[in-house]
Amino acid sequence: MIDWGWLAGHLDAIAYRTWQHVYLAALGVGIGFAISFVLALVAARYRILYPPISALAGILFTIPSLALFAALISITGFSVVTAEVPLVLYTLVILVRNIVAGLDAVPAEVVEAADGMGHSRRQRLWRVELPLALPLIVAGLRLATVSTIGLVTITATISDAFGGLGHFILDGYHLGYFLTEMYAGAVPSIVLALAADALFVRAQRRITPWARTRATEAAA
Amino acid sequence: MPDQAARGAAIVEYQHVSKSYATARAARGTPGAVNDLSLTVPAGKICVLVGPSGCGKTTSLKMVNRLIEPTSGRILIDGADVAGRDATELRREIGYVIQQVGLFPHQTIGANVAVVPRLLGWPAVRQRERAEELLALVGLDPALYRDRYPAQLSGGERQRVGVARALAADPPLMLMDEPFGAVDPIVRERLQNEFLRLQAELAKTILFVTHDIDEAIKMGDLVAVMQVGGHLEQFAPPAEILAAPASEFVADFVGADRGLKRLSLTRVSELALQPVVTARVGDPAGDARSRTLADPFPYLLMLDASDRPIGWVSQGHIPATGSLAASLATPMSPLLDRRTTLKDALSMMLDADVQTGIVVDRTGRLRGVLTVEAIAAALRPSADPEVISSGTSTGGTSAAPQSGADA
Repeated sequence: MIDWGWLAGHLDAIAYRTWQHVYLAALGVGIGFAISFVLALVAARYRILYPPISALAGILFTIPSLALFAALISITGFSVVTAEVPLVLYTLVILVRNIVAGLDAVPAEVVEAADGMGHSRRQRLWRVELPLALPLIVAGLRLATVSTIGLVTITATISDAFGGLGHFILDGYHLGYFLTEMYAGAVPSIVLALAADALFVRAQRRITPWARTRATEAAA
Repeated sequence: MPDQAARGAAIVEYQHVSKSYATARAARGTPGAVNDLSLTVPAGKICVLVGPSGCGKTTSLKMVNRLIEPTSGRILIDGADVAGRDATELRREIGYVIQQVGLFPHQTIGANVAVVPRLLGWPAVRQRERAEELLALVGLDPALYRDRYPAQLSGGERQRVGVARALAADPPLMLMDEPFGAVDPIVRERLQNEFLRLQAELAKTILFVTHDIDEAIKMGDLVAVMQVGGHLEQFAPPAEILAAPASEFVADFVGADRGLKRLSLTRVSELALQPVVTARVGDPAGDARSRTLADPFPYLLMLDASDRPIGWVSQGHIPATGSLAASLATPMSPLLDRRTTLKDALSMMLDADVQTGIVVDRTGRLRGVLTVEAIAAALRPSADPEVISSGTSTGGTSAAPQSGADA
């Protein structure tokens, strides 16, 4: 069933595509997070802007990725920008909503105490609200990363230069369902998604030690 | 606390302060509105703002540190209008304690206590030292609590940390909004007592909000009773609020048992104690017997060599000859401290099923006795504590010359 000879002969290509996959996904989530962070802070500060921001992100999420690629190719050509724009746009809806939800989840009495003790608005945000929003922010990042890793495969439709591991899936399909090559794309992509998810779980435990104490107390 | 005394305490003045809310809220009975509030809190005193919910007590408090801005009027701290101050700087100079405490869940207890010092840019070492000093002050072992997170503490412990945090930068003024409202009654009572003991040392100026009249009477040097709509009904020491309510609202609010509540305001030391016939162990029995028989109160109080009470001897059991043996005495009325409140004193007497409590000084020496009648007399409206003892049935006895009961 599996053509081991093909696999052995394409280890370099698999390694390169895996690296490209990680790169494309990380770039998409990174830029998406930066944009979402700014949008979420604006939405949290000026509440009236949250519904339109959230709605816009939701609408962008509904655009089919293939249609978006086709439209973008006429503007940005076969460049990495064409590949990244959809990846970035699709993260916004998850990240903006999770960051805002995280800020909203900060208990009112904690905010009042922070104000009452003389934090400036900026100090309150960075020292109190954002740290307490971390669990929900990280949860958003997990979801966005896993879905972006899946989406990177679609970028193979732009050209051979993109797609990460998706390149093998598309190529195997074109070769008349060459399963070995399709597996060579799909399996590492799934492993990447699982690994990224596990990494975030570990990172969250590290950066939110206070949330861990409750669990250890209960276990003790 | 080297710089404790230096900062001293602030004077807070409300001058015709009003706060009204927009009509949408006004239609619903203007909760939190304040109407022309003028009062002055002297330095080093606890002023309790008390009233039903929606009376504007919390609004009044939050206008001091500008969490709420007044619609009109001025609030002065040591003569300076708070409106002229930068709000964040002002707040760092005012301790703030709220009912839900609001500790930062993501910071350790040590970091929580050091929040204001950190905002003020103290060096890290000094922040840590100050946090440990304050944890010890509120009765939490720094070594045990410093590195824990708020979620690992009980409600009472969190409240203490809240008080420690508010004291961190040694503020001359503290605002406390129902600070002991979220804990069970037993813990609340203990926190109140601890706080009063702390305040006796620190002598901060404290504005304290509660809806509980008993807490107001207990904690306040001055009590401001507020009425829904933000009217100040009465501003007076608690004893005066209870003895002479300024309005029907105040009388209703303090309750029908305000006479009884006064018991918890008065301490044994404020009543004239009655003398009693006493004799030391080993004294001649005959003399003691004749002195007891001559007294309307039919008991002799036996003392040890240091004038500490041992117990009562009924006049019929005093031998006519020989010397007094300690074994004659049967214990014992409750021993009262001069700091005991009349409420506690009465309760102890009822528990022991006796009419008389023995008042001793700090070293346990007899000061005199307190009777249920004397307490009852203290309850009478307009009772003058100085006159009480002479009117009671056991009064007018001769204190034994050797008793040392110079009450």
